[in-house]
Amino acid sequence: MKKALYVGLMVLAIALVMVSCGKKESATATTPAATPAQVVTQPAPAAPAAKPAAKLKVGMITDAGTIDDKSFNQGTWEGILKAQNEGIVDAKYLKPSGTTEADYLKEIGNLYDAGYRFIITPGYKFETSIYEAQDKYPSAKFVILDGEPHTADYATFRTEKNVVAVFWAEHESGFLAGIAAALQMKTGNFGFIGGMEIPAVQKFNWGWQQGVKYANENLGTNITMLAENYLYQGSFDNVAAGQQIAASMFDKGVNVIFAAAGGVGVGAINEAKARVTAGKDVWIVGVDVDQYPDGMLPTGKSVILTSAMKYLDRASYDMIKHELAGTFPGGQKLNLDATNDGIGIPVQNPNLSADVMAKVQELYGKLKNGEVKVADTQLPGLFK
Amino acid sequence: MRNGEQKQNKFASPLAMLIYVVLALVVLALFSTSHLIRLIMPYAIAYTIPMLMTALGGLYSERSGVTNLGLEGLMLVGYFACALTIRLTEQTLLTAALPLGLLMGVLAGALFSLLHAFASINLKADQVISGTAINMLASALTVYLARTIAGSGNVRIMLGIVRQDVPLLSSIPGLGTLFFTQSYWSTWVALAVWGASWFLLYKTSFGLRLRACGEHPSAVASAGVNVYRMRYFGVTMSGALAGLGGSIILITYSGEFNGTVAGLGFLSIAALIFGQWKPLGILGATFFFGTATTIANVSQVIPQFGVIPPVIFKVFPYVVTLLALVAFSKRSAAPKAAGEPF
Repeated sequence: MKKALYVGLMVLAIALVMVSCGKKESATATTPAATPAQVVTQPAPAAPAAKPAAKLKVGMITDAGTIDDKSFNQGTWEGILKAQNEGIVDAKYLKPSGTTEADYLKEIGNLYDAGYRFIITPGYKFETSIYEAQDKYPSAKFVILDGEPHTADYATFRTEKNVVAVFWAEHESGFLAGIAAALQMKTGNFGFIGGMEIPAVQKFNWGWQQGVKYANENLGTNITMLAENYLYQGSFDNVAAGQQIAASMFDKGVNVIFAAAGGVGVGAINEAKARVTAGKDVWIVGVDVDQYPDGMLPTGKSVILTSAMKYLDRASYDMIKHELAGTFPGGQKLNLDATNDGIGIPVQNPNLSADVMAKVQELYGKLKNGEVKVADTQLPGLFK
Repeated sequence: MRNGEQKQNKFASPLAMLIYVVLALVVLALFSTSHLIRLIMPYAIAYTIPMLMTALGGLYSERSGVTNLGLEGLMLVGYFACALTIRLTEQTLLTAALPLGLLMGVLAGALFSLLHAFASINLKADQVISGTAINMLASALTVYLARTIAGSGNVRIMLGIVRQDVPLLSSIPGLGTLFFTQSYWSTWVALAVWGASWFLLYKTSFGLRLRACGEHPSAVASAGVNVYRMRYFGVTMSGALAGLGGSIILITYSGEFNGTVAGLGFLSIAALIFGQWKPLGILGATFFFGTATTIANVSQVIPQFGVIPPVIFKVFPYVVTLLALVAFSKRSAAPKAAGEPF
């Protein structure tokens, strides 16, 4: 029995070494000594102030998934890296061990103790932790993306002067993608696969439907939409379900699916690749970032028709710039939309024709000047 | 020993048969219209096969007397090795990279399982601890290697297997549409492996010896058989087959290594128990899990299933497994010496 324990412990030890190696390898991801966060709550402004050349230390905490998730974490981190490459900040990210409020607060504490006073948190999951942290660390500044601080029971919403909440107009992004896809296909049957049924994903969905409707009504396209092809899988990581749902939709005659679903979308893209290789005419519309490379086939073509993008890197980069210029918009809720170029479809869309691109640009202009409006709610006639 | 097993069979068979018949009826009732069959069957089979291979691996290991809770980790290792191989060779080898990837997945799983074999056979370690350690080690090691070698925790391949209808067989009315349309070639490889395993375990003297090692190893040893070697074979096979299962996930439905096999390894262990450590049993059990999960996944898309909330489908296999475990607990067919060092 003793032997058993030893062996178990040995293998465990190896596993632990591997884990810690893995973290070291990932650039700057070394966790600072896990001192209890409460110990160093009084700010120590003397140290950074003493060195006038000290750069702003920017910390980020990853949401569920890895730093290279080709989505939220990566986009946010790229914006921070851009600032670091310009030599204006020192950056570090931490990956929490879980996705609970306690996990996030622990890492916020770790960053704070290591001298990081500008902390960026990508995702609505940070809402309650930032609500706590804004009072706990008044000398630190926080940027929360896709969410605003509130209590766990949604009873109190409060954004302090040291917090900025950034939102995107996903509905406008989905709208443009819907227009682009409808114009390119002319006729067809469009579907939507969402991840979890949360506002950011719902707005993509509603915007997409409004875009397709707009094209049908004003631009002479003839696209069918059926309620049963508009659904939320319920997670962001079930690849198998994504493949099976996409396969079933394609079987039923859907030829373009807008997948706003993280890992579930990976399954959908995989299914589309297999079908295109077998000679079918099916497409996926990507989300958040330009997913064109993700749909690449050996032929050099991609199954990604276009992508409904949120310029994630913009938020982190712009906020850093504001902070450095002394114009940090603390306490505000910022909206990144067409008017400030916070959303859109990729500049390069090899699967869209020039005419379509021109038309989309025209509509983008109309969104900018308010001539066309997209609702961020489920208007009558739209599917959930 | 043989007598004991026959006695057990007398107990288990009618009950097992009854369950299979009921299951078959339920499945057929669900698939009462050909439209639904066409929609679901290929995907249910695709989802079943990785679990079938992994559970079959577990069968080899446990029948030889070594409990293997590390199947999840072994699957993951195969999943990763296959992804990496294909990623590195697909530019030059094109579709030939897929079988090569499968092979590397199998080899990686087999190699990794040697850790478990060494700990539990030579060192006589607690097999539960060793298996758990395998799971933890695998998830950390694969992500670390993916980051170092491929530069990202997610390793994506360009193209998996493209589904095809099996020529001639797919035109058989009824059965043809059920089993031979839209299938991956890996499915047929896996079924061949399953058939060969059944033959090896139940129709050869080698198989009898292997199974005897899991029931009464000292008796086998007294007959001059090397129990260590038999158990090494069992554990290595479990690693190889779990690796195959993981590889099949990659080249069929996922197309990307993402650091997890989402609990399929543990589901396979459940299927092994549900299937009463028998090849036909695990085929039925994994197919049952696969079908139920697939229905749960696509029920939102197919209005006919929409009348039942998806959560019912999602918990269905687990509830049935729990009930089955309760029903079987008195006359479990588990190998008697599984989990005990020799």
